[in-house]
Amino acid sequence: MIYSKIKTATAMAVALVVLSPAALALDGAELYKTKTCSTCHGKDGKSPILPSYPKVAGQNEAYTLQQMKDIKSGTRANGGSAAMKGVMHLVSDEEIAALAKFISTMQP
Amino acid sequence: MNRKHILTMMTAVLGLTVSATSLAWLEAGGQRDEALHLKPDHENGIEVYEVCAGCHLTEGWGTKDGTFPQLAGQHKEVLVKQLADIREGNRDNPTMYPFALPESIGGAQALMDVVTYTAKLPMNPDNGKGEWETGSSEFEQGKKLYADNCTECHDKNGEGIAEKFYPKIQGQHYNYMMRQFEWIRDGKRRNANPDMVKQIKGFSDKDMQMVINYVSRIPVPKEDLAPSKDWLNPDYD
Ligand code: HEC
Ligand code: HEC
Ligand code: HEC
Repeated sequence: MIYSKIKTATAMAVALVVLSPAALALDGAELYKTKTCSTCHGKDGKSPILPSYPKVAGQNEAYTLQQMKDIKSGTRANGGSAAMKGVMHLVSDEEIAALAKFISTMQP
Repeated sequence: MNRKHILTMMTAVLGLTVSATSLAWLEAGGQRDEALHLKPDHENGIEVYEVCAGCHLTEGWGTKDGTFPQLAGQHKEVLVKQLADIREGNRDNPTMYPFALPESIGGAQALMDVVTYTAKLPMNPDNGKGEWETGSSEFEQGKKLYADNCTECHDKNGEGIAEKFYPKIQGQHYNYMMRQFEWIRDGKRRNANPDMVKQIKGFSDKDMQMVINYVSRIPVPKEDLAPSKDWLNPDYD
């Protein structure tokens, strides 16, 4: 009984260690497609739907992360931000982080 | 004679002003009328719709949470009118706005192609619904509200009337309809039909929830639905 409990606990701990990095590694490329980002910024991140919209491909991760957070919270509300704010409830903080990482790796 | 003439003129002017405001919701955008007379190109419809699919999904089903409305099965007349209204700033939705611009859709022909394509897509068999089950007391109250206030324009089962630009509302997502209905009631949707605004003026929030709950649960005719909620649009892979 006790032994099997310990075994379960160990198995769980191992599973946690093994699984958590995997679970955290959200697929930024997939999110970029499924969370509507590509519609406005272009599939490649550099062919925006309107000429006044920004190219995002290759931008610094930290900067990108902050801009997305600010647009989501409404701190950044200038220019065309309202258009993007309408979709930001679709992404969590973790997903925003994964997106920032992915965007920084896109070919500028 | 002279007096009568002036009177006629005044009435005419007055009439013009009145109809200008009450018909503002139906004012013909040039491109709108032009588009509806063109012959649609199916292949180009698929191509133009691709970017739309990023939000409305390739099936045209929108999202259950109501962020994005279902477009599949909507009358093309209504789709054209709504796109024109969004472009002209009569609906407050900055997220959709860039996609209603000619720069992104293309001209009247592309507009006709894309609306004809989406109008023909089979509808979502699993739309977002309100909280009250079919048969519950709130459902029955909503049903009565619907029969008393909505059938004249949205028809018996929410089919709408294409020629009059009255939208189909059966099968639409509950949350999306709630947002639109509230905006129409409160005057935030400026393209709204003034007679609808009048009709629903006295609606409380509960009335609104009950009638929309009912609408979200009106069964869509089987032939208009996709075979299952796992159906994928074969035009995209
Ligand atoms: C409806 C159109 C739209 C959608 C959808 C959209 N954006 Fe944006 N985005 C914009 C606009 C417009 C701006 C520029 C706002 C301004 O004018 O200040 C922007 C700004 C940004 C910026 C800041 C760029 C900079 O240089 O400051 C980033 C990063 C960004 N978007 C990423 C995303 C990601 C990731 C997604 C998907 C979760 C997304 N966007 C979805 C329209 C959109
Ligand atoms: C970035 C996301 C996004 C994209 C891309 C997009 N839409 Fe939309 N669309 C929306 C949102 C959000 C609404 C609902 C707005 C509201 O609540 O008023 C909407 C509403 C609509 C409506 C009104 C529906 C109704 O029942 O009244 C039509 C028509 C429409 N979109 C067509 C299109 C077409 C055609 C395209 C492609 C050319 C497109 N959309 C691309 C987000 C988008
Ligand atoms: C006098 C005609 C009329 C009546 C009565 C009416 N409507 Fe409407 N309704 C319209 C028209 C026209 C529109 C589209 C307005 C526009 O062009 O923007 C609309 C839009 C809507 C929409 C938004 C659809 C969309 O896709 O965006 C909903 C939901 C709706 N009506 C529900 C109702 C309900 C429920 C009732 C009864 C309580 C009702 N309406 C009564 C004419 C009417």
